[in-house]
Amino acid sequence: MRTKFKAFMAVAAAATLALTGCSGSGGEGSGSGDGDEPFKVIAFTSGNQTPIGAWWVKAVEAKADELGWDLTMIQGDFDFQKMNPAVESAIGQGADVILDGYTDVASIGSIVTAAKDAGIPIFAMDSGTEPTDAFAINITTDQQGIVDSTVGALDESLGGLEDKTIMVIGHDPHPGIRMRSGLAEEALVEAGATIAGGEIQKVASPATGRTEALAMVADFLTANPGGLDGVWVGWDDAALGAAQAITEAGATGKVTGVDATSEAIAGIQAEGAFLVTVEQPWPSILDSLIEHILAYQEDGTIPEKSFEAVGTTLVNVDNAADITPSDKLG
Amino acid sequence: MITSRNPGLEDLTDTRAIPRRSVGQTLLASGTVLALFVLVLFFFAMRPDVFLSFTNVRNILYQVAILAIIAGAQTIVMVVGDFDLSVAATSALAGAVAASLMLSGVPISIAILAALIVGLLIGLANGLLIAYLNLSAFVATLATLTSVTGLAFLVTEGTTLFNLPTEFNNLGQGRFLQIPLPVFIAIGISLILWFVLRFTTLGRRWYATGGNVEVSRLSGINVQRARLLAFTVAGLVSAIGGVLLAARLGSASAVQGEDNLLFSVAAVFLGMTIVRSGAANLVGTMVGVAIIGVMSNGLNILGVNAYVQQVVTGLIIIAAVTLSSFKSRGR
Repeated sequence: MRTKFKAFMAVAAAATLALTGCSGSGGEGSGSGDGDEPFKVIAFTSGNQTPIGAWWVKAVEAKADELGWDLTMIQGDFDFQKMNPAVESAIGQGADVILDGYTDVASIGSIVTAAKDAGIPIFAMDSGTEPTDAFAINITTDQQGIVDSTVGALDESLGGLEDKTIMVIGHDPHPGIRMRSGLAEEALVEAGATIAGGEIQKVASPATGRTEALAMVADFLTANPGGLDGVWVGWDDAALGAAQAITEAGATGKVTGVDATSEAIAGIQAEGAFLVTVEQPWPSILDSLIEHILAYQEDGTIPEKSFEAVGTTLVNVDNAADITPSDKLG
Repeated sequence: MITSRNPGLEDLTDTRAIPRRSVGQTLLASGTVLALFVLVLFFFAMRPDVFLSFTNVRNILYQVAILAIIAGAQTIVMVVGDFDLSVAATSALAGAVAASLMLSGVPISIAILAALIVGLLIGLANGLLIAYLNLSAFVATLATLTSVTGLAFLVTEGTTLFNLPTEFNNLGQGRFLQIPLPVFIAIGISLILWFVLRFTTLGRRWYATGGNVEVSRLSGINVQRARLLAFTVAGLVSAIGGVLLAARLGSASAVQGEDNLLFSVAAVFLGMTIVRSGAANLVGTMVGVAIIGVMSNGLNILGVNAYVQQVVTGLIIIAAVTLSSFKSRGR
């Protein structure tokens, strides 16, 4: 009887160990995908309603299909109250990796905590402008490089920035725009330019950025006829409003933007007020991020650096025709 | 069309003449108009060389023209005692539909007509939900706002539609006698709405419905039809605003002009303070629109931060409505 009992306990223990060993992904981030189980990825973005965000969703889904990942895609519509619990719930069900697209680290504190508790690394793109231990890696664009190239283009177009009046238009809630607007203000002041209005002009909502920028520049030009040599804008949609205001006022100022949307590129090609924009290489950034994830999947390798800022391309009238607009990536 | 007058509602002269008032009461009663006057004086004092110049007044009119149209739509709905959260979304969808059709080669006039029909249908749907299915205006128009915004994203595929025909853009960017065309269109639409509200049986029915639904029903007014018509007209007028906004910017996106929702409600509330009845009225709404436009333009000219502008806008609305409540208590 005692021998039978011992044999039963041994079989039960072996079965328990075997089952535990086979039990799926998640947990402590082995990174291997554990045997026959598919590699489980949670991807989320709050910016799926923007053209670039929509492209990202499609691109990640295509990669997941290609690589045989078990993908859970969560689209947040800029609603963190909806998105964050959905991601946390997915984390609770286990995953090997989390992929964050265009969602600032400041908005996903609860996700970061849940991921750390579950031992799941987060691989991110354009999710903050500073290094942070929240991510295994965050790859974004070089904000200083964007500022150097756009301010340089203004400098060249205006024959120097000394004593020139330049308006800087930003939007604080977006960390990238906030950072580059601040850097642009510094660079312009350093080059001897006067900042129109004495400070960065802030657009309240990106959805109405174009009309807000249009009104700001139109009103400034009315109050200061001929008093604006250029407008540096943190993103293309608002830059298009600024360019329209300059054109309608019959002024000669030049406008720079960032994003390389098709409308901005068309504006540059028209050789009007829109001078340059900046292409940010999102497809190659996503490719790099996927490579890091594959390395982690292979043997649990975590990237050496948790933050990477890659170079961008200045889009001007010479190369505008060769650029793929950011809203036509998908 | 049967015409009549609507004393006590759109007719400011008569309503103010009813009882005698003290100077204080008069000041309170005209608080919103006074606020507009004070704002104009203040900005003129700060920038006498600029603020009342032809160019700047034209700027202000241009900047508020589309808001005036959408606020006109909101006024009609608020006259019947409801409100419409979907006006800005409807206008964005209408602009997107027109742009999308034009880019696919549809003639401009047909694209515009299709956009206006879309607006009318959204208004009709709102009206049916609220008047016939008895949904609250808040719930129904919130749901419509959500669906219509989704539709606008589908139509634009999440991008900004541009490269619209020059003839279309001229609707929003062209000028007549140095005044931008949207200003004339806004004035025209406002005059039509004012006429309907003040002189027609339909306007009287709308006001009666907004005043007291039960009494209106007992008086033989088809309240359901009145509300249905109000929402339908609001949808159509919002669509006109959206088409003009697309022409003004030369582009259309799913969230274009979304601030027109809050500003239109604010303008109507400001306008409600200038009549004794406290009812929505078109003249008052235009005063409200003017306050919003003057303030935004003036603060821009003075270089005031956009966030501060938002705070000040809210405070002025609170002040005007508070004045109005003092006035009501005094009655």
